[in-house]
Amino acid sequence: MAPLLQSSQPWVEKYRPKQVKDVAHQDEVVRVLINTLETTNCPHMLFYGPPGTGKTTTALAIAHQLFGPELYKSRVLELNASDDRGINVVRTKIKDFAAVAVGSARQGGYPCPPYKIIILDEADSMTEDAQNALRRTMETYSKVTRFFFICNYVSRIIEPLASRCAKFRFKPLTEAIMSNRILHICHEEGLNLDSEALSTLSSLSQGDLRRAITYLQSAARLFGSSISSSDLISVSGVIPEEVVQALYSACRSGNFDLADKEVKNVIAEGYPVSLMLTQLFDIVVEADDVSDEQKARICKKLAEADKCLVDGADEYLQLLDVASNTIRALCNLPQEFSYEG
Amino acid sequence: MLWVDKYRPKTLDKVLIHDDVAQNLKKLVTEQDCPHLLFYGPPGSGKKTLIMALLRQMFGPSADKVKVENKTWKVDAGTRTIDIELTTLLSTHHVEMNPADAGFQDRYVVQEIIKEMAKNRPLDTKGKKSFKVLVLNEVDKLSREAQHSLRRTMEKYSSSCRLILCCNSSSKVTEAVRSRCLNVRISAPTENEIVRVLEFIGKKEGLQLPPGFAARIAEKANRSLRRAILLFETCRVQQYPFTHNQAIPPMDWEEYVSEIASDIMKEQSPKRLFQVRGKLYELLTNCIPPEIILKRLLYELLKKLDSELKHEVSFWAAYYEHRMCLGQKAIFHLEAFVAKFMSIYKGFLIATFG
Amino acid sequence: MGKGKRNAAIVISSSDDEDDKDFFLLKSKITSASLPRINQKKRAKRASLSNSCSSKDSIASDFGEIKRFCEEFDEGIRGFKVSTGRGMGNDLWVNKYKPGSLEELAVHKKKVEEVKVLFEERLITSEEKLCNHVLLFVGPAGVGKSATVHAIASHLGATLSEWNTPTPTIWQEHLHNSSSGLRYTSKLEEFESFVERIRKYGFISSSMSRRSQVVLLIDDLPVVNGKVAYGRLQRCLHLLVQSVCVPTVILITDYGKADSADYSMRFWEELQLSLQEAGACKVAFNPITINSLKKTLARICKEEQYETSAEQIELIAKASGGDIRHAITSLQYFCLKPKQLPSLSLSDGSSPCLSERTDEITHLYDGSSLSFGRDDTLSLFHALGKFLHNKRESETFMVSDRDAITLKEKFVRFPLKMDAPETVLRQAHGQSRPIADFLHENVLDFVSEEAIDDAWVVASYLSDADLLLTSVNGMVARNFEAENVVQSAAASVAVRGVLFGNSHPVPPRWHAIRRPKLWKVEQSLWHNKCQMLSQRCDTCNGLHLTDPSVIYTEIKPTLKWIKHRASEDFDSQETSPCHMVENIDLDGNILDDKNDMASEDEIEDW
Repeated sequence: MAPLLQSSQPWVEKYRPKQVKDVAHQDEVVRVLINTLETTNCPHMLFYGPPGTGKTTTALAIAHQLFGPELYKSRVLELNASDDRGINVVRTKIKDFAAVAVGSARQGGYPCPPYKIIILDEADSMTEDAQNALRRTMETYSKVTRFFFICNYVSRIIEPLASRCAKFRFKPLTEAIMSNRILHICHEEGLNLDSEALSTLSSLSQGDLRRAITYLQSAARLFGSSISSSDLISVSGVIPEEVVQALYSACRSGNFDLADKEVKNVIAEGYPVSLMLTQLFDIVVEADDVSDEQKARICKKLAEADKCLVDGADEYLQLLDVASNTIRALCNLPQEFSYEG
Repeated sequence: MLWVDKYRPKTLDKVLIHDDVAQNLKKLVTEQDCPHLLFYGPPGSGKKTLIMALLRQMFGPSADKVKVENKTWKVDAGTRTIDIELTTLLSTHHVEMNPADAGFQDRYVVQEIIKEMAKNRPLDTKGKKSFKVLVLNEVDKLSREAQHSLRRTMEKYSSSCRLILCCNSSSKVTEAVRSRCLNVRISAPTENEIVRVLEFIGKKEGLQLPPGFAARIAEKANRSLRRAILLFETCRVQQYPFTHNQAIPPMDWEEYVSEIASDIMKEQSPKRLFQVRGKLYELLTNCIPPEIILKRLLYELLKKLDSELKHEVSFWAAYYEHRMCLGQKAIFHLEAFVAKFMSIYKGFLIATFG
Repeated sequence: MGKGKRNAAIVISSSDDEDDKDFFLLKSKITSASLPRINQKKRAKRASLSNSCSSKDSIASDFGEIKRFCEEFDEGIRGFKVSTGRGMGNDLWVNKYKPGSLEELAVHKKKVEEVKVLFEERLITSEEKLCNHVLLFVGPAGVGKSATVHAIASHLGATLSEWNTPTPTIWQEHLHNSSSGLRYTSKLEEFESFVERIRKYGFISSSMSRRSQVVLLIDDLPVVNGKVAYGRLQRCLHLLVQSVCVPTVILITDYGKADSADYSMRFWEELQLSLQEAGACKVAFNPITINSLKKTLARICKEEQYETSAEQIELIAKASGGDIRHAITSLQYFCLKPKQLPSLSLSDGSSPCLSERTDEITHLYDGSSLSFGRDDTLSLFHALGKFLHNKRESETFMVSDRDAITLKEKFVRFPLKMDAPETVLRQAHGQSRPIADFLHENVLDFVSEEAIDDAWVVASYLSDADLLLTSVNGMVARNFEAENVVQSAAASVAVRGVLFGNSHPVPPRWHAIRRPKLWKVEQSLWHNKCQMLSQRCDTCNGLHLTDPSVIYTEIKPTLKWIKHRASEDFDSQETSPCHMVENIDLDGNILDDKNDMASEDEIEDW
């Protein structure tokens, strides 16, 4: 059991920075927080930014550094979206936890300030009711409790909550910093990663370090210690460039049947269509020989199809529609159909 | 027993297609470090076969000893308790179920039932395997909330429980779940691969295959291995010895759809539309999912159309399929599509032939 | 014992049951006037039919030995009933003109004959091997199910025992009961224990009174809600059917007009099926025909010495929708304040359609449907008729009127010859979903043959309406306000879409409005799905669970094909693609009678 646990522990957890100062790339945030640590006085905080930029890591690190491993359990409450966080939980669980007063006995070299911390991960998926209920709780127990909200979209946090917090924006990681981290992990795990694979990895993960590490771990599991760029692609589920190009050139050819065949192929190969739309979008936007108007027409359809997919529409039909629209845009066929009733 | 089941490879070594994937999986399992897995790919590509073989690889023959159980779960949903009935498949090592069967209550299924099962320590502790495997089908049909709670479960119980998720399209699985699993894409087999499998089965059954026969079945099967094997067996029942130009019987509903398509092409009038509605009802009553009907209908219509009409028709097909999954009564939208097609086609005929 | 029984005769609001421990109260010989809620016709009817229980007492005392059983049984069954003669002058006509003999029954002669034969079979062979004694009467309300039973029973000289439980109807009574120590038992529980007794002790009365045979009548099944309760009731009835050994009639009123896709409808279907499986013989009752309604009404008028014209009677008969009880009540009501009915016969729709005439009819239906219409459905049909026929002003009138905004040619429609569709909808009390379904089912009949474009426009609006209606379901339950708005918006979109889209309506002619086939389809789809899900594990040998859609589209057809082939002994004949239709009909035929009925609700073109 024990060794199994060890090896199956996600690297994301294993290499999560334990100290605030180790958090990569978020310089201002780190500076403010280290200051906080020294004075042991902190406001309510709101961390926001794209996924995989270290928000949760930072929050956890602060909590750990403030309380140390022993007090951590009793002082910190961690809740994320998958715990039921309806209004009832806010009213009972959070309130109960928040209400308990604590002393400030310094223990084992940790500051142990006289308050507790409630970390609400993915706070933007909380219902509005729950957020409203939280507002009261925050005010009432502000003496003994600090709230850390973590979310991707700050706009989904209701204004009264956001205004009570110090806001920290987390930036996407740059390629250099990411490669640095990845190489560190490769070194620790004894992996062989060539430079091509490294750059593939950072382009695949688009500034999301967690995703990059997950890909790396998956590839290491499946393909052993030397990992090539194609291994990473297959693990990440990204559609190979050739496939996207094939579809695009079929659209260029103006032949509906050809495009239909390519679409069928994409479906049969099991590539996720939403991803296909994104990659097609990249190609179209970068294409030089396509006029702005054509691009607009194509992208509009891409957006519509993406929305339909989110609603659960059929992948084949949507992609076919996209392809057909792309053909018409590229061949400058009129937007309106000729036999409209 | 149907050939589909009879010739389903039992172990990872015997897998005929996707053997590369099978080997990787084997490596994963033997290294004792099995992450959560997410299998995705089109229907009939062999996801289930691989999963079953994988289970067998993990737990040995006892993974095959399963029993079906219709269990009613009492779930506490905050203010009230609800009963959820689900069919599950149990062995000592794994549990398989379709959480999407619970409909809009799927959230509770995931949150409560899976939690409960994952908490239960594996019964058989004398073996090396100290975790239980939970196979969840049709994850893409789960609601967002359910998928969210799934992800938490995965983290929380990862020491005692491994999840194997199975779905058709991974874009309907949330990023959060996907990123916590090892994603395994299973592509549909190519026609050549299908031919190979068919020939293998033919040999085992001691059948003489005329040259090109398997290829014709493979072509008809639309890259679905299951379909190909089913067709093959139907052919065997229909006529043996095979003749090289033997007609391959289509699925009855597909033939019915093509009949509808030719009805539509022949006449475009409200009366005909009404007749078509009756036929669509028949298909629906036989539980053919409406989106599959629509796709098939589009396929049949596209076959017969001039290319300038194809764009328009495929646009409307996508449009109405989208509305179908937003709406409730599929027939309203199916019929609107047919009406639209009729209207377009009539306009086309008038413009072309006056 | 007699005394106890008499004490038990309780008026619902009274409180004198000091020594009464029986919960199954005997409601005997009470005039309908003393019962509250006379307007509950059933209750009143029974009360007036109840005989005094003295006869039963004498029978029971002859058999001291089995007295205990009798007591049990008597408690469970209300007193024997013998049809009373004509009642007092202030009686409800429904009771007063209760058919006393077979001849007076308004039910179709053939049906009566059929039922009579069934009864005779069961009465004569009741002690012998006839394996089932149960008749299952199914039909809409007021088509004479119980009247037939009563009439035939008295015709054959059999006594009728009825199970009936007065559970507390009003709150005070319930309070009184609970303060006097009586535990509240739900009707379902009582029914269960009643069935249990029947099974344990058999039907005693039949053994004790060989001369007069007994027919057990179970009307008024407990009203149940929820899956569990349904299950209990079904089990219970199933047991009853299997174990009872006297002729028994179970009456099931089916409310076929309601949205049949909902759960309780399915349940009643299932219940009927399961009872039939257990051996019950099903007899379906159709609504009473207009002609026999008219005959009955005319007879009553004559006896009451009221002058009513044939037209008025016809109007009442038509408005009742085949419900004789309702028709008689309407007649009585009508005779109370004899005002002149709009003297209009409904059936000559062939005359040209003038606007004042339309007004008149609208007036008739707005005003008098309240007094004659059996329920909303009928006026709903008329509203639907208006929408579908899509009457508009003539061209010339239109052109001069248009000055403010100029619409494109193809969007211009002439003004409607009716109130705003929303007003009509409100008058018809239509629910959005059924309206959309009805329009969808029928609209194609009203679109002219050439106008496929119109058909599409209509279809697309209906599809919009469906989307709106679906969004209602997704909405949070507490948000009733918004729900209502969306509902009516959906109805409005559907109706106006039909009105707008159908720019070339067919010239006026007769049309029957069909009941949406969709409901039937949904029902059988549900049946089939359940069936296939239950077979799911067989199809894949229990090794794994297959996705349902795969079963439907691939495995099932193949299996069917292979089996079909095997049974045809490798006949090289090409199989018809339609053999899939077969299993639809199995489920469908239950609904057929209902369907026929609905199509009789013809509306004409005026």
